[in-house]
Amino acid sequence: MAEDMSIESYLAAGGVLTNPTNVPPRYRAELMKLMATFVDSELAGAAGFADIINQGPGIKERIAAAKIVLEKTDNADRVLQIMGDFGADTARYATHHPWTARLARDADIGATRSEHDMRLAVFNYPLQGWTDAVVMNLLMGRAVGVQLSEFSQVSYQPLAEAFRAVIPLEARHAELAQEGFERLMQSDPEAVQASVDYWWPRVAASFGSAASSRADSLKSMGLRKTENAALRARWENETGAILIRLGLVPGT
Amino acid sequence: MARFHDLTVTDVHKTIRDAVVVTLKPENGAADAFDFTQGQYLTFRRDFDGEELRRSYSICAGKDDGILQVGIKRVEGGAFSTWANEHLQVGDTLQAMSPMGSFFTEINPGIARQYLGFAGGSGVTPVLSILKTTLAREPKSSFTLVYANKGVNTIMFREELEDLKNQFMGRLNVIHVLESDAQDIELFTGLVTEEKCAQLFEHWIDIKSVDTAFICGPEPMMLGIAAALRTAGLSDSQIKFELFASAQPGRLKRKVVSVDAASSANQTTAAITLDGATQTVTSPKDVSILDAALQNAMDAPYACKAGVCSTCRCKVLEGEVEMVANHALEDYEVSQGYVLSCQSFPLTDKVVVDYDQ
Repeated sequence: MAEDMSIESYLAAGGVLTNPTNVPPRYRAELMKLMATFVDSELAGAAGFADIINQGPGIKERIAAAKIVLEKTDNADRVLQIMGDFGADTARYATHHPWTARLARDADIGATRSEHDMRLAVFNYPLQGWTDAVVMNLLMGRAVGVQLSEFSQVSYQPLAEAFRAVIPLEARHAELAQEGFERLMQSDPEAVQASVDYWWPRVAASFGSAASSRADSLKSMGLRKTENAALRARWENETGAILIRLGLVPGT
Repeated sequence: MARFHDLTVTDVHKTIRDAVVVTLKPENGAADAFDFTQGQYLTFRRDFDGEELRRSYSICAGKDDGILQVGIKRVEGGAFSTWANEHLQVGDTLQAMSPMGSFFTEINPGIARQYLGFAGGSGVTPVLSILKTTLAREPKSSFTLVYANKGVNTIMFREELEDLKNQFMGRLNVIHVLESDAQDIELFTGLVTEEKCAQLFEHWIDIKSVDTAFICGPEPMMLGIAAALRTAGLSDSQIKFELFASAQPGRLKRKVVSVDAASSANQTTAAITLDGATQTVTSPKDVSILDAALQNAMDAPYACKAGVCSTCRCKVLEGEVEMVANHALEDYEVSQGYVLSCQSFPLTDKVVVDYDQ
């Protein structure tokens, strides 16, 4: 029973870690990056969406937008608390950075992160009005759903549990977006299609490159299971089907 | 930020030859800080020859026991556990952080649930806390414990478990599996492996009715049990783990300060180890260690670049650096040579840092 087994081989065999005390250094670093990516993306996403609330065409839309801002901030907090278990200064973290900062609409950054935070590249682009925000929220909401289904299986149990709690909330955000989306299709389908064309490749890029040099080591740590390309393909199929059903053309 | 509180030892007694049960009383009005949830652990710190060691031990008391109690099994070569087993006395003061951990499920007094616990050796401590609390606060729920040990004389809390079986008649079932002592039923001898679990699920445990399973033990045992539970149809959200690796990091060696640490030029030579490979780079002294690594195509870890998150932590093995901001590392980590590489600038002409430690 007391056979010796290294943490590395335990993880490679699908083992689960449960607290910061026995997390290996490189695992700690990759886990922190993963958590920072989520926290920064949620904070940046919420901050960008906050500016849009008052552009909602009616009270229901504004309530939905405000709810999304609240819950994304709350989701960031859940994961930030776990970063705090590892020593991060959670109070300072939440405010040390201008989460509303955006690049130009036509900036060409591919999947490159900014120098100063870990938000997914897609959250560096500015929203242009209500229609644009709804479209972005639908496309990215579906992408977040796919990404969370992957990350809810990470080998750090407290984080896996946090992600499992976040999944239904994020799924609801995508549903709200789809409801708003269907209404917009009745009034201004051209503007919707233009926003789809803008956001589709940028959201697709958030799945990361097909050939990631770190994929194998992340896999052996139990921090990844599925290839980027497979997740991206799943999103393209699912979201493309929704767009086609609504009479739109998915991007390329 | 982590905060330690003083606790007075009010009782120490042996449960088996090399494990003690320590009862603690929070001092200086810190009682609220130790209002634990069943299954949580305490992290203690103590100075050994000028070097701070931190160790985590699970609370074994139930919520209704009215006391704070941990079990500490002596680990071969373990400084803290050996000290606790051989020298700790009533009246001593220990320092610990508030309880942490998420090895529990919410208690719901009205609900009738079936719980299944697996414990290996001293892994029983948090499971004991969970089963005592659950049986007392969920009167309709029942608990089955599969408890693995080397032999009869290494079973921690053996008598206490017998008492609990009587106290919660018909609601607590304990299956002892012993590695080396023969038992009447052959199935209960040997290691708790995936195969053994599958056999237990055939005749002894109604796995289909189990709502939540708790596992705390050594790594191979956790893997085997988890595999068997998944095969039997439990989802990941129904399986709760707690792992305290047998190999918690040992004592850390102090960093070497090179004798010829003169800093004449503005350049430093940095030897940076990452993922087992060491790259030596030359970089200006006003470039952080992290940026020096990144500029040389090393995939060094970072997130906030503001000294807040600690993702970029590395260890300085040789030379000196100046850390201009630190909102994440604690004093004891700094004294062991850890720095936030995004905030650290070389002072000496040569530095050696390691992201793998």
